[in-house]
Amino acid sequence: MLEISNLMVFYENALALNDFSMSLQAGGIIAVIGSNSAGKTTLMNTLSGLIIDTKIKEQRKGGERITVYGKIIFNGEDITDLYPSERVKMGMVLCRERHPIFPESDLMENLRIAGYLRKRSEIKEMIDYVFDLFPTLVRLKNRKAGFLSGGEQQMLTIGMALVVKPSLLLLDEPLLGLSPMMQTTLVDAIKKIREQTGLTIVITEQFARPILPMIDYGYIIENGMLTLDGTGLALMENPEVKGAYFGV
Amino acid sequence: MKQRRKERIDRGIKARSDDVFSLNSFREMLYVAVPPLAPVLILLILPLELSSYWQKVLISTCVFALLAMSWDFLVGVGMVSLGQALFFGVGAYIAGISNKILGLPIWIDIPIATILGGIVSALLLAPVLRLRGVYFSMVTLVLPLMLERIVEASGVFGGTEGISGITPFPNSFFESYLIVLVTLFALFAFRRLITTDYGLVLKAIKDNDRAVMSVGINIYWMKAQALFISGCVGAFCGAFITHVYGFVGMPSFALDYSILPLSSAVVGGMGTFAGSFLGAFILVPLSEALRGIGGLRIVLYSFFLVFFIVALPEGIFHYIQRKYQQFERWVEVDK
Repeated sequence: MLEISNLMVFYENALALNDFSMSLQAGGIIAVIGSNSAGKTTLMNTLSGLIIDTKIKEQRKGGERITVYGKIIFNGEDITDLYPSERVKMGMVLCRERHPIFPESDLMENLRIAGYLRKRSEIKEMIDYVFDLFPTLVRLKNRKAGFLSGGEQQMLTIGMALVVKPSLLLLDEPLLGLSPMMQTTLVDAIKKIREQTGLTIVITEQFARPILPMIDYGYIIENGMLTLDGTGLALMENPEVKGAYFGV
Repeated sequence: MKQRRKERIDRGIKARSDDVFSLNSFREMLYVAVPPLAPVLILLILPLELSSYWQKVLISTCVFALLAMSWDFLVGVGMVSLGQALFFGVGAYIAGISNKILGLPIWIDIPIATILGGIVSALLLAPVLRLRGVYFSMVTLVLPLMLERIVEASGVFGGTEGISGITPFPNSFFESYLIVLVTLFALFAFRRLITTDYGLVLKAIKDNDRAVMSVGINIYWMKAQALFISGCVGAFCGAFITHVYGFVGMPSFALDYSILPLSSAVVGGMGTFAGSFLGAFILVPLSEALRGIGGLRIVLYSFFLVFFIVALPEGIFHYIQRKYQQFERWVEVDK
């Protein structure tokens, strides 16, 4: 479904992602685990195409030069130079880190904005599904999104991505800034999404412990380089992963 | 003696449900109906009551109210324009040219100028759609000034002389009512538009444009549409004024058409359209009323501006709206 080969991203002379390759089968969950500044968000922005927009903006104001090498194939089509909106239309939806919601609009409005390109009946169906997945959100329907808690905002962010009806869901650090209990709730929700919809999911995360048990395959990156890969269980058993991410 | 307590009127109306309003008395109906009906009634009566001089002031006020609302609309999408004069000037020139040179009747040239003006304005600003904040503002400020100089230097469209002898409206009542009706329509249409899904997306672009992009919406196309809508409103104003004065020339790109709408929206209160509308209806007549005092006019006018901005930074409309919602009444205490 998704094939990334030899992806390299430079911010001026700094190498954010170095020769990164991975492949993903439909219906799977894979995770890219790495600490801060490992290149996780750069990877997600490159996959979703947001980096193209940043690149043009930086170019226009004479800022940092962003260079991207490598190839991204999605469903057999080369999407390396496609704009983010076109990638979303193909079914690839990114749920960005730090709960990117619209704080001035209420929860329902946020979901309606996300589903703007879909038919009304589809939006309704997906919003019902989101409320089914996150029952906590039902009573907060009319609350301004800016006043929701961090966990609720993260649920809303995932809900917004689901309303778009993706075939590939990219989750950038979904557990960032959440309590262990909220992390468990979200991990359960992600598992449920996969079971109920068969969606293909890519997660980047620095909290390996809750993520590794549910994934099919995982990649560990450090300083933009792929250092280790394997199934979730194999990575959990790996002494280096245990040392670096479990503190064992 | 019966005990009484004070209750906010809107508490009774916004009854226990999020979207359903319950109106239990004539007074409550009045409370809900007055805010939208008051401007409609006042504006419909005004042209009948005013002298011909003040009718012209009313026209000018409505034009600035429209420009202020179109400015407010752009700000709502995250584009702070300092050049509503661009929209105004483009519309004015298209109307002038199509009426005087192409010989089109007034009923055709105004709609053409409105639509074409919107398209031209959006096209002129299309290259800077990716710019934000002060960069976008600077470009919008410079464009009308540049077009003004191009007209002057090249002598096209009458150069410094402009184009005169443009067909006027049949009579002054007609022109007053036309602009009043368009202003009221724009006020309610803008307020409605911003609550639709389309409006929510436009508002969301200002809040978090990358998140909008993440859900597959092309924000630059949406911004271009917003520019077109705002441009159409501005261009209509230009086309209308061209027919009122029977003349179009370089003053159509004057800075006044950029700055006064902005001041109106800031003084009135941004984000509601009603604020911009109210702001224009305070500033423009005030400026005319102060005309009699001569040289001190600008000083007093500036004083008023500074006073409103310092005393009511949220805008007059937001203040009035808050106070209106805090109206209280005496109710008997149930035992």
